[in-house]
Amino acid sequence: MKNKVSRRNLLGRIGAAVAGLLAAPAAKAAKTITQKVLVSANAPKDYDPSKHRWVMAVDANRCIGCGFCAEACKKENHVPEGPYFRTWVERYIITKPKPGSGAARGETLVDCPDGGIHGYPEAPMPKEEIQHSFFVPKLCNLCKHSPCVQVCPVGATFDAPDGAVLIDPKYCIGCGFCIQACPYGCRFLSPVTKTAEKCTLCYHRITRGLKPACVEVCPTQARIFGDLKNSKPDDPIQQFYQNNLVTSLKPHLGTEPRLFYAGIDKEVR
Amino acid sequence: MRRVFQMPPQLFRIFLLVVGVVVAYSIARYFLTPPSFGEYGWYRGAALAELATRDRVYAGKKACEECHPDEFQKLTKHEHKSLACESCHGPGEGHADDPRKDNIDRSSFAACLRCHEANPSRPKWHKQIVSKDHYTGKCTECHVPHSPSETP
Amino acid sequence: MTNTLTNIVEEVMPHFEGYAYPNEATLQPLWSVLIVLYPYITGLVAGAFIMASLVRVFNVKALEPVYRLSMLTAFAFLLCAPLPLLFHLGHPERCFEVMMTPHLTSPMAIFGFVYAWYLMAVLLLELWFDYRRDFVAWSESTPGFQGLLYRLFTVGVMDESDASVQLDHKIGHILSVVGIPSAFLLHGYVGFIFGSVKANPWWGNVLMPIIFIMSAMVSGIALCVFNYMVLTWIRRKTVDMKCLDVMGMYLFYALVVDAAIEALDWIHRIYSAEEGFQVMQYMAREKLFYTLSLGQVACGTLIPLFLLGLLQLIRRRVPEIQRRRMYFSSAMLILIGVLAMRWNVVIGGQLFSKSLRGVMGYKMEFTGLEGWLMGGVLLCLPFVILTVFVKLFLSERLPTGGHVPPRDAGAQTLRPARS
Repeated sequence: MKNKVSRRNLLGRIGAAVAGLLAAPAAKAAKTITQKVLVSANAPKDYDPSKHRWVMAVDANRCIGCGFCAEACKKENHVPEGPYFRTWVERYIITKPKPGSGAARGETLVDCPDGGIHGYPEAPMPKEEIQHSFFVPKLCNLCKHSPCVQVCPVGATFDAPDGAVLIDPKYCIGCGFCIQACPYGCRFLSPVTKTAEKCTLCYHRITRGLKPACVEVCPTQARIFGDLKNSKPDDPIQQFYQNNLVTSLKPHLGTEPRLFYAGIDKEVR
Repeated sequence: MRRVFQMPPQLFRIFLLVVGVVVAYSIARYFLTPPSFGEYGWYRGAALAELATRDRVYAGKKACEECHPDEFQKLTKHEHKSLACESCHGPGEGHADDPRKDNIDRSSFAACLRCHEANPSRPKWHKQIVSKDHYTGKCTECHVPHSPSETP
Repeated sequence: MTNTLTNIVEEVMPHFEGYAYPNEATLQPLWSVLIVLYPYITGLVAGAFIMASLVRVFNVKALEPVYRLSMLTAFAFLLCAPLPLLFHLGHPERCFEVMMTPHLTSPMAIFGFVYAWYLMAVLLLELWFDYRRDFVAWSESTPGFQGLLYRLFTVGVMDESDASVQLDHKIGHILSVVGIPSAFLLHGYVGFIFGSVKANPWWGNVLMPIIFIMSAMVSGIALCVFNYMVLTWIRRKTVDMKCLDVMGMYLFYALVVDAAIEALDWIHRIYSAEEGFQVMQYMAREKLFYTLSLGQVACGTLIPLFLLGLLQLIRRRVPEIQRRRMYFSSAMLILIGVLAMRWNVVIGGQLFSKSLRGVMGYKMEFTGLEGWLMGGVLLCLPFVILTVFVKLFLSERLPTGGHVPPRDAGAQTLRPARS
C-alpha cells in the first residue's frame, strides 16, 4: 500500500513538473504576442541609432557666460526648479598674486549662481585684481567608459548605440548609485520623478534633425554639436577637432570623456 | 518504508524547497522582465523610442524662417547671425504650432545686457559696454536688434 | 516648468563653504541615514554569524552558551536589513528589477542574490538543522498555536533518532563552513560598493571592503556580548564568565586588527596627500569632529582597546563584577563607535564636493523618511524581532535535548532546561 502511494505521488510530481515546463514557453509566446500589440508605434520614422554617433564639444574661449544654454535646457527638458541641472556654466576667477609673495598666481575662485541660468553678476573684485577669468559650460562628459552605466544595478542607464548616455525613467529604481559614481556631478535625483536624470543631448531633438537646446541658443557657438558618422570636414565639430588642442576633465580616473574642452585652465575640475 | 531517492527525509524536504524556490524565481523572471530588454544592450530597448518621442519646447531657427523670412534674412546677414531667434525670444515651439502675439517673448533690453554688459570674465573679442556709462535709456533707440550696427 | 502639483523641490541651500557642483547643493545628501543603517545592520549580522561559527567550525567550546543567541541575533537583524534600502529607493515598487535584470557590472546588483542566499541557504538552513530535533520535541509537548508553529517548522520530518541528529550536526557543520565566506560576501560587497566609486576619494580605495568587514566582525561580537548580558540580566541569572571572557578576547583581537587597518588607511592618506586631501582633511576636522574624533576614534576604538586590553593582561586580578562592567561598557562603546564609523564613511563622503573645492553641512531632520525617528525605529525593530525569537526558540520553559555536540554540565547558561 505504502509503495503504491509513494509511486503515485512520484508520478504526480513528475507530471506537474512536465506540465510546468511546457507551460513556460507557451506563456512566453502569449506574452510576446500581446506585447507586440501594446508596443507604441511612436518611434521616429527612419531613425536608426547605429547610423549616428552624436558628440558635443565645448570651446571655452568663446563662452560669454550669458547662461542662455542653462536656461534653455531647464525649459526644454522640464527640469525642476532648485539645485537640479542637466547643464550649467561655471565661472573661474584667478586673481593676481600678492606683490612680493613670489607666487605665480593668486587665489582661484569658482562660482555658479543658480547654475548660471540668469547670467552672471559682476565679478566680486575689481578687474585690476584679476589675472584670468573665464566661463566653463559643464554637461555630461559622454564617457567612453562611463562609471555611471557601470554601476547601475538594474540596467536603467545605458550607452545608447548613437553616443548619448541615457536613463530609462520607467525602469530606474532611484537608488542614486549612478549619481554617486559620476565624477563630474552631472546627474541628479529628480524630486518629481524620483529617478535619476541627466543631460540626454536632447535626444528627442537630435533624433529629428534638430540641435540640442543649449547648442541652439548659444550666441557664440561655444557649444558645438555634431555627428561623427555623418560630418564633412567643414562641419563645426570637425573644424573644432582640427583647430584646437583639447583637454578632458579628470583624465586620471580613466573614464575617457568624449566631451573635449578647448581653452580651459588647469584649475578646472 | 522505502524512501524516495534514498535520501534522508530532512534532506529531501529541503531539496524540494530549493527546487521550488528556483522554479518560482525562473517563472517570475519570465514574466517580470520587460519584453524589449536586451535588444541593444543591458537595458529596455523601447526606452530609446520613448525618450525620442518627447515634446519639444524650442522650435529651432529654421522653424522661424517659415513665417518670418525678412527678419531671418536680416539676422543672418549681420553681426547677430550666430544667434538663434530663440536665444532672445525664448522657446518657440508653442508659438510655431499656434502663432499668436502672446505666446512668444518680444524680448526686452535685459536680454541685450545679459550678453553685452561688461564683465572681466568675458573674452576680449566680445563687444561689451558698461551700461551706466554707455547709455541709460533703451538699447533699441540706437540699435536694431536684428542688425545691431544699424540705427533705426 | 515645475510640476505644479508637487511643489516639493528643496530650494534652500544647505550651509556650504567654497564651491560645490550645482547638483550637489541639495539640503540632504543623496545617501542619508538609511544608507548608514544598512551596512551597520548587515555588519552586525555578519559579525554575529562569524561568532556563532567559531563554535561550530573552530570548536571553541567556551562560546556554546551564546551559540543559539548569536544565530537568532543574526537572523533577526538580517530580516530587517532590506528595510532601509527599500525606504530609500525612489521607486521601491520596482525593487524586484534587481533580481530580474541584475546588471552584473554593478556591485549593487548582487544584493538580491547574496541576501537571498545568505538568508535561505545559510542562516535559515543552519538554524533549522540545529533546531530540528527540538522542533519535533516541542511540537509534541507544547499546546495551542505555538505547538502548531513548531509542527510547521519541522516541515513534516519527525525523525528524532540519533542517526538523523548526527546527520543534522554534520550538515550544520558544512553550512557553517559555507557560511563564513557568505558572511564576508554579504558585508564585503557593501564595502566594495563604496570602495569602487573612483569619483569619490573618500570612498574609492582598496581598503574599504576590508575595513567594512573587520568593523563588522567587531560590531557583531560586541552585539552578542550586549545581547547575552542583557538577556541574562532580564532572566536574573548569572553570566557564564568563561564564555564572556572568551568573547571579550575575540572582541579585543578583532578590534586590534580593525583599528590597525583603519589607522593604516589614515596614515596612507595623510602621507601621500593626494589631490583631494586638503578638502577631505578640512571636512573631517570641521564637519565630522564629533562623529569621527570623539565617536569613532576615542569612544569607539581607543577606550574599548584600553579596557579590553587591560582585561587580557590582568584578567585574573579583576573581580567578576568589574569585568562584567568593563565588557558591557566596551561592547556599548564599540556598537556606538561602529555606527559612527558608518556615518563617517557614508555621510562624510557626501559632505565635500567632487569639485574638491567645497564643504557642506548636514542637519538631520527629525521626522521624514531619512530622519532621526525613522533611524531609531529601524534600529529598535531587530531587537523587537529578537525578543519574539527568544520567546519562541530560546525560552527557558521549553525542554531541549541540547544541540550537538553535547555540552558538559556546569555553569548556568542560556540553555533552556534539560527535559
